[in-house]
Amino acid sequence: MIEIDGSLGEGGGQIVRTSLGLATLTGQDLTLTKIRAGRQKSGLLRQHLTALEAAAAISAAEVDGASLRSDHVVFRPKGIFSGKYHFSVGTAGSAMLVLQTILPPLMAADGPSEVFLEGGTHNPAAPPFDFIERVFVPALIRMGGRVKVTLERHGFFPAGGGRLRVQVEPSQLKPIEIMTRGRLQRRRARALCAHLPEHVGQRELKRVAQRLHWPGESLELEMISDAFCPGNVLILEIESEGGVAGFTAFGRRGIPAERVADEAIDAARVYLSEDAPVDAHLADQLIIPMAMAGGGRFRAGPLTQHTLTQIETVRRFMRCPIKVERDGRCAEVVFG
Amino acid sequence: MRKKQVLIGLIGTKLDTPSGMRRWEEWRPSISLFGFEDLLIDRFVILHQARLEAALERIEADIHHISPHTTFERHCFDFNDPWDLEEVYDKLLSFADHYPFDPENEDYLFHITTGTHVFQICMFLLCEAQYLPGRLIQTSPPLKRRGPTWRIIDLDLSRYDAIAQRFAREQAARVAFLKAGIETRNAPFNQMMAEIEQVAVASTAPLLLLGPTGAGKTRLARRIYELKRLKKQVAGPLVEVNCATLRGDAAMSALFGHARGAFTGAIRERAGLLRQANGGLLFLDEIGELGLDEQAMLLRALEEKRFMPMGADEEVHSDFQLIAGTNRQLWREAHEGRFREDLLARIDLWTWRLPGLKDRREDLEPNLEYELREFSRKESRRVTFNREARQRFMRFAQAPSATWRGNFRDLNAAITRMATLAPGGRINMEGVEAEIQRLERSWQGGDSGPGEVGLVARVLGASVALDEFDRVQLEGVLAVCQRSRTISEAGRALFSVSREQKTTNNDADRLRKYLARFNLHWKDIKTDEEGA
Repeated sequence: MIEIDGSLGEGGGQIVRTSLGLATLTGQDLTLTKIRAGRQKSGLLRQHLTALEAAAAISAAEVDGASLRSDHVVFRPKGIFSGKYHFSVGTAGSAMLVLQTILPPLMAADGPSEVFLEGGTHNPAAPPFDFIERVFVPALIRMGGRVKVTLERHGFFPAGGGRLRVQVEPSQLKPIEIMTRGRLQRRRARALCAHLPEHVGQRELKRVAQRLHWPGESLELEMISDAFCPGNVLILEIESEGGVAGFTAFGRRGIPAERVADEAIDAARVYLSEDAPVDAHLADQLIIPMAMAGGGRFRAGPLTQHTLTQIETVRRFMRCPIKVERDGRCAEVVFG
Repeated sequence: MRKKQVLIGLIGTKLDTPSGMRRWEEWRPSISLFGFEDLLIDRFVILHQARLEAALERIEADIHHISPHTTFERHCFDFNDPWDLEEVYDKLLSFADHYPFDPENEDYLFHITTGTHVFQICMFLLCEAQYLPGRLIQTSPPLKRRGPTWRIIDLDLSRYDAIAQRFAREQAARVAFLKAGIETRNAPFNQMMAEIEQVAVASTAPLLLLGPTGAGKTRLARRIYELKRLKKQVAGPLVEVNCATLRGDAAMSALFGHARGAFTGAIRERAGLLRQANGGLLFLDEIGELGLDEQAMLLRALEEKRFMPMGADEEVHSDFQLIAGTNRQLWREAHEGRFREDLLARIDLWTWRLPGLKDRREDLEPNLEYELREFSRKESRRVTFNREARQRFMRFAQAPSATWRGNFRDLNAAITRMATLAPGGRINMEGVEAEIQRLERSWQGGDSGPGEVGLVARVLGASVALDEFDRVQLEGVLAVCQRSRTISEAGRALFSVSREQKTTNNDADRLRKYLARFNLHWKDIKTDEEGA
């Protein structure tokens, strides 16, 4: 039985989801205590309950304490069962976070799985689908992951209702190194607009052209009609020999499009001013797959609190040693 | 198995029904309830007007996106006039009557953000009266820096710490007020005062105060009146009268008034005390002394709030609360025909027996403080004890030999005397010794002191014909009986000398025979002691 104090690190939902995913992946019993202690609304919220239900579904786990605002959960997985699953996330909560919980165990399962996830695919509180598709999954594939994600419908906040299809084949992950950025190969800025006037996206792209001097052919405006509510997101991709990095910003009511664009542009400029190949979000998402591979290393910008919590949690469940080496502002994370 | 959470709410005709994509940017109270991370609703019981049928499809679809597991149940709810309280209440009440509530397995939340204010009031009333078995839930629109919010409105006020504390504080203040700010330590007494406070603020029924003379009945009646006046529960005056001072025709006229010329000397009309007490409080002390005719009239005044003044042609009206005081055994008096049973039944509803000072020895000290404070206030000069004097007095006061026969009246008199005679405002040993002698003399002597009713009079009635020789002896015997728990104990104390000489053991029998000469039984004496 592994006991995780849910108030450690950031003490938010991340440690809950990561622990559940790792307990499922490694087949170890888990007790989560002090879940989200000290938060304004402590304990399990609906999005965490969905992640718990999903993890329990793929592992046939026995669960105690699976209720709203519960601060104590006991989770006893019985294995990893591949198959066809369907999970719905309410409150336009991010379906992508549920995916992050169950994807590592499903890659380690014996057979192929097909998962339909419904809910928020573009929720400001999580990486949007596009980041998963264009940044995270390609990195996984380089490691030997056999994963395919397909967006069937966009789900913006607050209506949600997006739909995503995930196909996972049993994958033997292998160690890789992502240490240098190498030559810049491609840049792309995509502005998604659902039920909003075109000028919202156009103004965001214009701002990108002005501030980053990206050429016109790298700017794309995508008008989306399948979403249930209005939504807008700007995604910047920077592809180099070392891989893809992504930066996103969400349009909000009352915030000018230019200021929304600036948020993504500022993050991209910080990334461009350094030479590490892995961006902050990808660093976070690479910890579990690299530990599963039992080796490998990557270099990223300053590690976030989120990433450090992720490393601490993985260390509790997996034997693979993880070493963090500082290199000026950047950091090298070494596995095995 | 977790209980299902069920939301029951009315679809707001304006706020909940916008169409078009912009609806997601607007605050729709009913829909917003399904988007909270910390609220999970399994079933939505939708109360709606018939004309909103079309909008319901959209509303349910929208809710389905943000709360995929919620199921729906529609109830058409048409009001001719949603501002008509009678109609809205009636329709909600029949919903409450017919809905298959299952509180064992489901928790119910009633949404009061939508609907007219009248609808919200009716929801509140029905929830409060428990016709709707659940809690109220309210939603608020988003503000600048935060999204929409929800909260449960729990109508059980005692669950709110601040309110509960406030209630407790106010109650404690009222109890302290009744005790005139004296921090009494006697637990039964304090408990009784807490109960009196509760009844005093909640009831207009008659109150009956029992207890020996000087136990503080009058003082308590005055405090109850002041408390009710502060709480704006009485507008009229406090009228006090000692029934022992009322005799014959004068009693009738004093209480109920008379018309002009009602009897010789009735030159002017007189309102009478009952009419003076209209809207206020009437304190009838020594109510056992009231004549039977006056009792009958009083009963009518209590029941009908009307009575006939002497010599008048018409009844008059007066509405007052009665506090009665007595030291008598009213049920025995009633049994023997000296007190009307129907009147007693009417006034013996809230009855408290005020203990004498000797039964509240731990309260001697706080009362001593109080009396000193009062003296200082009235005389505008500060009086204190010196330390030894105070210790000496307290030792004497708390000793079992101190009978405090006149109760608080004795204490008040003792303090007044010592304080008056205190040189330089300081009560010294000399003053205390002198006062102790004075008190002992008064308690030992047959002299009961002014206003004091002797044991003989209490047990046999004031009018009993008895030789002084017998009275003095009987008074002493009764005093011993009252101190003793059993007749044997009393017998042993009374005949201790002859017992030592003759080694007989029939003291109890001897006492029994002595009492029988006066037609008295042991249990008569003891019930007299222990109360109604």
